[in-house]
Amino acid sequence: MAEPVPFRGGGFQPRARRLVAVATLAVLVAGWSLASRAGWVSPIALPPPEEVATALVRLARSGELARHLAASLSRLVSGFALGAGAGVVVGLAIGLVSLARSAGMPVIAALFPIPKIALLPLFVVWFGIGEASKVATIAFGAFFPMAVATYGGVDGVDRTLIRMAQSFGLPTLSIVRKVVLPGALPAMLSGTRIAAAIAIILIVAAEMIGANEGIGAFILAAGNLMQTDQLVAGVVVLSVLGLTVSGLIGAAESVLLRWRR
Amino acid sequence: MAIRSILAGVAALACLSGGALAQETVVAGALRFVSNGALFVAIEKGFFKEEGLEVELRFFQAAQPIAVAVVSGDIDVGMTAFTGGFYNLAGKGGLKVIAAQAREKKGYEGNAVLVSNAAFAKGFRKIEDFPGHSLGITQVGSSFHYQIGQLARIKGFDLKRVELKPLQSLPAMAAALKTNQVDALIIAPHIAKGLAAAGDAHLIGWYSDFDEYQFGALFTSPKMIEARRATLEKFVRAYQKGAGEFASAMLRLDGAGKRVFDPAAADPIAGMIAKYVYPSDPPAEGTRKVKGATFYVDAQARLDVGDIHGQVAWYKSQGMVDAAVDPKAFIDLGFVKGHTNVPR
Repeated sequence: MAEPVPFRGGGFQPRARRLVAVATLAVLVAGWSLASRAGWVSPIALPPPEEVATALVRLARSGELARHLAASLSRLVSGFALGAGAGVVVGLAIGLVSLARSAGMPVIAALFPIPKIALLPLFVVWFGIGEASKVATIAFGAFFPMAVATYGGVDGVDRTLIRMAQSFGLPTLSIVRKVVLPGALPAMLSGTRIAAAIAIILIVAAEMIGANEGIGAFILAAGNLMQTDQLVAGVVVLSVLGLTVSGLIGAAESVLLRWRR
Repeated sequence: MAIRSILAGVAALACLSGGALAQETVVAGALRFVSNGALFVAIEKGFFKEEGLEVELRFFQAAQPIAVAVVSGDIDVGMTAFTGGFYNLAGKGGLKVIAAQAREKKGYEGNAVLVSNAAFAKGFRKIEDFPGHSLGITQVGSSFHYQIGQLARIKGFDLKRVELKPLQSLPAMAAALKTNQVDALIIAPHIAKGLAAAGDAHLIGWYSDFDEYQFGALFTSPKMIEARRATLEKFVRAYQKGAGEFASAMLRLDGAGKRVFDPAAADPIAGMIAKYVYPSDPPAEGTRKVKGATFYVDAQARLDVGDIHGQVAWYKSQGMVDAAVDPKAFIDLGFVKGHTNVPR
């Protein structure tokens, strides 16, 4: 009699365990606090976490935090919406239309690697030192990863599904809506993650020029004044912003990709 | 046999390095600015060599990293303008001010106040017109920020009514003024004159017309003072000689109190400074530019100590310097005799 074959499926499904995530962060902060207290790290090099926490509380109480966050968030949202929106449109065009693909791919390949920070002085000339240059910096940063992720996603859609839809006689627009877009969605959502992270990174760069308000401007000013507790507090705010955005995208994923289960 | 010859070689090397030690090295950090002229003159004239010192210059692109490099011990001494960041770093115990750099002094050009063509056309003609206008600065807490704060105090307007625009760099400031994106700048003399001469802006006054102040300093770290005080004393002595040469050649006033350059005295000194500040320009052009950018420097590198106390108090009042910072703790009066205006 042959032995029954044991079930070998399962695995390859890493789950996020919230407790582990929180514990990891807690251990990191505790180690930092210990290193500061023991004098291994000079307060000039890195302020102890207690001072950073005090600075954060002071910022929040005085209403400064809300003011800076509001300024940065409005730039972030409008820059990201413009950049990522255009990225989706261009990415879809590249993924679906030969002419757009031939024209768009080399342009993206040529422009994507340019550090947007290097273009900042030009943005100032083109868009001035007001809001436009700041939104433009963030939009340019978010555009490229979104466009690349979108056409990559469209390219990766299972061709047999498209052929099947064609053999059922579906019109092109319907195929795009019912097969291509859902198929490309996972790639587009991970592109959104990268685009959002780049947008947050670029907040500091965007607020280098002529900004008095905003988390980036606050971090720069704290750095200029060597107020390291406030500088790290500002960085913590950016980090929390990153976590929040990542959480929002995660929530969107679980709703939009329900069909994959 | 082989071991013995190796030992002999090591001994010879030890003797050689012993000989080199007689010429002790001091690593100095600075910007390529005319305000550091005294240091460059002292090097060129060999004053450090006379004291048995070899000065190794490290040039930086911005002021703040110089102070940070002194704190971290990467360089032994540094020279920059005072900023809010400098005072915070000094207050944390990382820096000691030991001698003077440049100073804003009546009768001598220093930083200038420039107004954009558009703002000038609309009637921005004097310092009192600042309220309701924008001013480009490099960074929060920079010397330009301090200077507009003092102009506001002297002319009695509220600093909050001036919109400050941090633009990070001098070229960005000049570009923003030329394109009328900011209404005014307070900026170093050579840039101000260039912009005004090209018709890109209007020069409405010199900062030194309204106020005098200790612009910057020579500083080191407490560790350095503890470990190499004698070396620092030699360094400051040579530096003071450089300041003396600089002052006698570059800071002459005529009978009417106007600054004049005697080419026989000023040109060689300006030429020495030009080698460091404008290394890519032909010597004659560099010399001319240095003369146009000369700040006042005390002939004995004495500090206006009371003014430094005043600066720290102003930065504190603006919330830019921590309340715990005490100027007494970060100024070491022991290296230069006769500092002026020392608070009791």
